[in-house]
Amino acid sequence: MGNRTPHTRLGLGRRVAAVAAALALTTLAACTGQTTPGTSAPGASASPTEAPAAKTLTIAAHPELITLDPTAQAPAASAQAQLFNVYETLLKINSDGVPQPLLAQRWEVSPDGRTYTFYLNPTAKFASGKQVTAEAVVKNIDRIRTGQVDGKPVTAPDGTPVPVGAKYSTWMKVVQSATAVDPTTLKVTLTRPSNTWLYAMGDTPGLIADPDGFATLASKSAGSGPYQVKEWRKGDSLVLERNPGYWGTPGRFDTVTFKYIADPNAMNSALLAGTIDIIANEQAPDSLAQFADPARFTIVEGSTNAEVTMSMNNASPALKDVRVRRAIALAIDKKKVLDDVQAGRGTIIGSMTVPTDPYYEDLSGVNAYNPEQAKALLKEAGATDLTLRFRPANLPYATAAATDITAMLKAVGINVVLEPQPWPNWVQQVFVGKDYDLTIVAHVEARDLNTYDNSQFPNYYWGYANPAFNQLWLAADQAPREQYPDLMKKAARQLADDAASVWLYMMPNLVVTKATVTGVSQNQTTDSFDVTTIATR
Amino acid sequence: MRGLELRVGAVLVTLVVAAALLSRFWTPYDPTMPAGARLQPASAAHPLGTDAFGRDLLSRLLAGAQSTVYVGVIAVGIAVLIGVPLGLWAAQLPGRASEVLLRATDVAQAFPALLLAILLAGLFGGSTETAMVAIGLASIPQFLRVARAGALQVLASDFVLAARACGIGRLAIARTHVLPNIAPLVGVQATVSFALAILAEAALSYLGLGTRPPTPTWGSMLQQAQSVWFAHPEQAVIPGVAIAVAVLGFNLLGDGLREHLDPRLREEVA
Repeated sequence: MGNRTPHTRLGLGRRVAAVAAALALTTLAACTGQTTPGTSAPGASASPTEAPAAKTLTIAAHPELITLDPTAQAPAASAQAQLFNVYETLLKINSDGVPQPLLAQRWEVSPDGRTYTFYLNPTAKFASGKQVTAEAVVKNIDRIRTGQVDGKPVTAPDGTPVPVGAKYSTWMKVVQSATAVDPTTLKVTLTRPSNTWLYAMGDTPGLIADPDGFATLASKSAGSGPYQVKEWRKGDSLVLERNPGYWGTPGRFDTVTFKYIADPNAMNSALLAGTIDIIANEQAPDSLAQFADPARFTIVEGSTNAEVTMSMNNASPALKDVRVRRAIALAIDKKKVLDDVQAGRGTIIGSMTVPTDPYYEDLSGVNAYNPEQAKALLKEAGATDLTLRFRPANLPYATAAATDITAMLKAVGINVVLEPQPWPNWVQQVFVGKDYDLTIVAHVEARDLNTYDNSQFPNYYWGYANPAFNQLWLAADQAPREQYPDLMKKAARQLADDAASVWLYMMPNLVVTKATVTGVSQNQTTDSFDVTTIATR
Repeated sequence: MRGLELRVGAVLVTLVVAAALLSRFWTPYDPTMPAGARLQPASAAHPLGTDAFGRDLLSRLLAGAQSTVYVGVIAVGIAVLIGVPLGLWAAQLPGRASEVLLRATDVAQAFPALLLAILLAGLFGGSTETAMVAIGLASIPQFLRVARAGALQVLASDFVLAARACGIGRLAIARTHVLPNIAPLVGVQATVSFALAILAEAALSYLGLGTRPPTPTWGSMLQQAQSVWFAHPEQAVIPGVAIAVAVLGFNLLGDGLREHLDPRLREEVA
């Protein structure tokens, strides 16, 4: 019979294929750990024994940077790769949180706390070979503060302004004037004393770029650090190469590659296979057991400045009522979140402050887990039929925490529509567009309590507005140094009492390296993943 | 041997459908809420253990069958309701127009359901509905072809010629003579498409483009198992086996039905 109908062709072959596909999907969960050879960076797999001529270091990180200019946007991924490696600051916050000299050899503060004099290292120079002069530093401070240099806006070659993230410019608002006394002496006058300003000068807001490179920061690095950007392969990696003319101790590696791997298993497998040297931020703490062999791997566990925060859009009608926000905070069992998401590693926190802050106080008891009280508060507030849009960033810790919290909110009668957002979308829609009710992301910056001050950050996505908090923060910032911790504690407590957000836990600094890698900083005290202290055997 | 395929297929499909129906009314625990410590091994309280968030895996597996069957039924329904009438129409088109239509379906078939679903998810956001519509639309060409081929055979038969000679209209012929005769073919194709729809649905929710969390699906269970894969591979194996069982069941059922319903094929095999 020649006239076979098409369906008879769907025979054994098709059936086997379909079942095979089902099994393939099953194993996909296991196999995404394999990195495809095509995506590994050339030279990344060179073992130290085989090629001493080209010394490389490959670091896996996530999420990827969005722009090469570390000061242009809020996400810290660009600074993670470049601060201290490509760009330097006047002073450097060390692993214990203490400022150390870098571009400035020393500095003095006037008795009224308003005038700082920095004495620059005369040997310091940019990758271009030009000296890091006091005048160059003034231009940097002016650019961050106002977006202008010598009274003219900084523009890219195509005429568009070179953006400065509000998060960074705000730190410099307190600067009244910066002047170059002589090529190596810089005088900065503040409008009022500020305890946090000096720390900002040791982090991303204070990075010093070559003024000649301001226009092209988004495409070409212009730092004074031991490395410079060789190539940014979008969606894959950022390759740094040694700055041959570095003024200080030369970089130990010919190339340093930050490789961006979204999948936690893929990251782990890459380290197991030896194609990378370091996992800068381990995203699947449940699988740390794979690296238990100390002969092969080192696990570094310490603290970060990152508060993993469930933001509540204080400006949205449903969440304006402080009782509703408190009820949400009361509904969340942070201990369970920490166990499920980080395998119990990290510290539960109760406000926008981490244990390494000088003003840290354990506020995890404020609005602590109490579902019954949560229900009562919701009833009192008349919010018995609440539906909230939950849009966490699509990052492993955030979606995992969101899964837990969705169930916890359901338990007290709050409906949640869970919509994880891919990272660039999240930045646009949630962080910039403020189109959300609840979201989760880690706030990695040091001493970022002031983002809740709506006089400093009028458009920040918290939507929080409390003049009392603004005053507390300001009072603490300009107080004599010895009163700073106690006063800042009050500000942190105000946030907790207002349930401005739900601060879940301090993200642990979980770095996994090959056993041959040494010098990884235990605590992450700035935005930077600092390569300059790292060596390999 | 022939009966065996049909029987095994029927048993597996019944299992899946029964799980889906059961979960509408009862699961051991709420599949979206924690019910104990996380990552527990199988025990009397949790026959399949718990997942990384302490939710009961058996409950999630049962509830996952629901999305699977739901998406499959609607997707295949869309494909049948659009594909079969188109096929009947195509069978009655003159030769050249029919050719053009067939080539057009070739082009449509070149787009996998996944690609279409990603496109729809990009436009409308990932959800159960976009997944169903995408899988359904992508399956239309298969039904069009089956219906057309079957209809061509029926239309060439003497009783249709007789009916036509009596002046009965095309629509009436299609309804009273063609449709009943190609129904078995369409039924077989539906089971096979159902298996493919299950796979596509699992893949979509694995990618986060299907049913939104926390509603459990087998695909999203696989996805969540990924972060604990090395320490707890059983977390991925459980939904994986469920998907394989469902796909195998519908495929065996489809093949069994085909052999059972197609007398010609029965002779061939004999």
